[in-house]
Amino acid sequence: ERRQKRQVIFKRAEQYVKEYRQVERTEIRLRRQAKQVGNFYVPAQPKLAFVVRTRGINKIAPKPRKVLQLLRLLQINNGVFVRLSYATTQMLQIITPYAAWGTPNLKTVKELIYKRGYAKVNKQRLPISDNRIIEENLGKYGIICVEDLVHEIFTVGPNFKVANSFLWPFKLSNPTGGWARRKVRHFIEGGDVGNREDKINALVRRMN
Amino acid sequence: MAARPVVSVYGLNGSKLEATVPLPSVFTSPIRPDLVQFVHKNMAKNHRQPYSAKQQAGEETSAESWGTGRAVARIPRVGGSGTHRSGQAAFGNMTRGGRMFAPNKIWRKWHVRTNTNQKRYATASAVAATGVSALVSGRGHRIAKIQEVPLVVSAEAESLKKTKEAVALLKALSAYADVEKVANTRSQRAGRGKMRNRRHRQRRGPLVVFAQDNGISHAFRNLPGVELVDVTRLNLLQLAPGGHLGRFVIWTQPAFEALNKVFGTQTEASAQKKGYTLPQSLVTNPDVSRIIASDEVQAVVRPAGPRFTKRPFTQKKNPLRNTQVLVRLNPYAQVLRRTEILGLNKKTAKKSHKKAASQKFLDLLKAD
Repeated sequence: ERRQKRQVIFKRAEQYVKEYRQVERTEIRLRRQAKQVGNFYVPAQPKLAFVVRTRGINKIAPKPRKVLQLLRLLQINNGVFVRLSYATTQMLQIITPYAAWGTPNLKTVKELIYKRGYAKVNKQRLPISDNRIIEENLGKYGIICVEDLVHEIFTVGPNFKVANSFLWPFKLSNPTGGWARRKVRHFIEGGDVGNREDKINALVRRMN
Repeated sequence: MAARPVVSVYGLNGSKLEATVPLPSVFTSPIRPDLVQFVHKNMAKNHRQPYSAKQQAGEETSAESWGTGRAVARIPRVGGSGTHRSGQAAFGNMTRGGRMFAPNKIWRKWHVRTNTNQKRYATASAVAATGVSALVSGRGHRIAKIQEVPLVVSAEAESLKKTKEAVALLKALSAYADVEKVANTRSQRAGRGKMRNRRHRQRRGPLVVFAQDNGISHAFRNLPGVELVDVTRLNLLQLAPGGHLGRFVIWTQPAFEALNKVFGTQTEASAQKKGYTLPQSLVTNPDVSRIIASDEVQAVVRPAGPRFTKRPFTQKKNPLRNTQVLVRLNPYAQVLRRTEILGLNKKTAKKSHKKAASQKFLDLLKAD
């Protein structure tokens, strides 16, 4: 029984590794192709964002406070995955002064879930110590192991909402090496808040 | 209900007589230490005498406050001059010679009434407790050598007249140790009670219960600690002194037999206490461990779990650092790790290969 499940998980993980590599190489290939011909390659708009709350509890205006609550960013250094849509992008704009966000890469997603992944089970925050926890709660959506969960989050699959809400908001540490000198300013201005696109990976690497 | 247990009667020389008495129903009434304590507390307040401070104490001055501006506290001060008392503070509870805070009044409610049924329940409980030797010895009575509890003596005891005979009876019953205990514990009271006609204190001895006083009270009354009481007038304050159950009681046979009339039985009401029947216990069989061990219960009980259960998961281990945990979560990771290590070797081979090429190139260059 368990052996069969392990075999399935193995196969899936193997398949995902292939898939990620394929997607990555396709991207690169398309870029190179376009460059060769003299065209412009326009990559797809990002579907996934990772948002980290940079500010504390006090002195938050009511609207950003509500948006932070809706995104489950209730504590400083809390991080959540967000599916990017027009609506959510507007939400992120509202909380610009209070959060740092960007597009995470696979390594970021993986490491977050492996190291800091806790599940919301029966209103309790339980560590993802075994695939059993994932299977019991997300089995009906076809997610039975950590790799499935990572895949669902990273590729923003059809059950992203369920998978994401299954994950308790990540409690990250303060970054080693520190924040920018004045972290409350926008990333563009030399601070830390706001959209920093793929530079979020470096930040999470230091906060994880 | 099974046949009522039977209590032997002892003669004046301490030997067991032919006669036996079935145990009166009172002795099966539930023993309720909480109720006895409650009722005893209330009953004990009933022989209190009022006390209070003198009504005008501390107020027999015409003191007035000097007000502000005189570099003294604003407490009322005694007027006049020519004596130490003038200018001294008066009236306050904090002042010397002033009135106390909230002077006690004689109209304090000294006596407490308790519901009659509660009082009767408590006495029934207390009588039942006198039949439990563990409670009696737990209360401190020296009954180690007693033949039986409850201790019933033949009716001849009621006609004893001389204290000598009473002592002989107690010694024959091995009950004299309790009286000796009382005599040995007679000591002076600590505190002012000494000068208030309460000089000595001593323990309580046996309680002798009779049905008819034909001289028994004269015989026993001078023995220290021994109390005598008519069976129709059993007093909770004597049956459970201090609210503690288990007084050592010596019954005479007629008194013991009269208990069924005084308290009634499970089926008939009491003759003496109008309309009163003995209290029923809430649980017919209070031996819980015996119930659990019984066949009926054990037949439906599920098998017991392990004595100590291991806590399943007490520490989260980081899969990024702990390979075992990583593989537990993602079995394919083992393959990835392996190829990584092998791939590393391949890389160094490539490097060395590259170096060779560059050397070749240099030779070509130099050949020119």
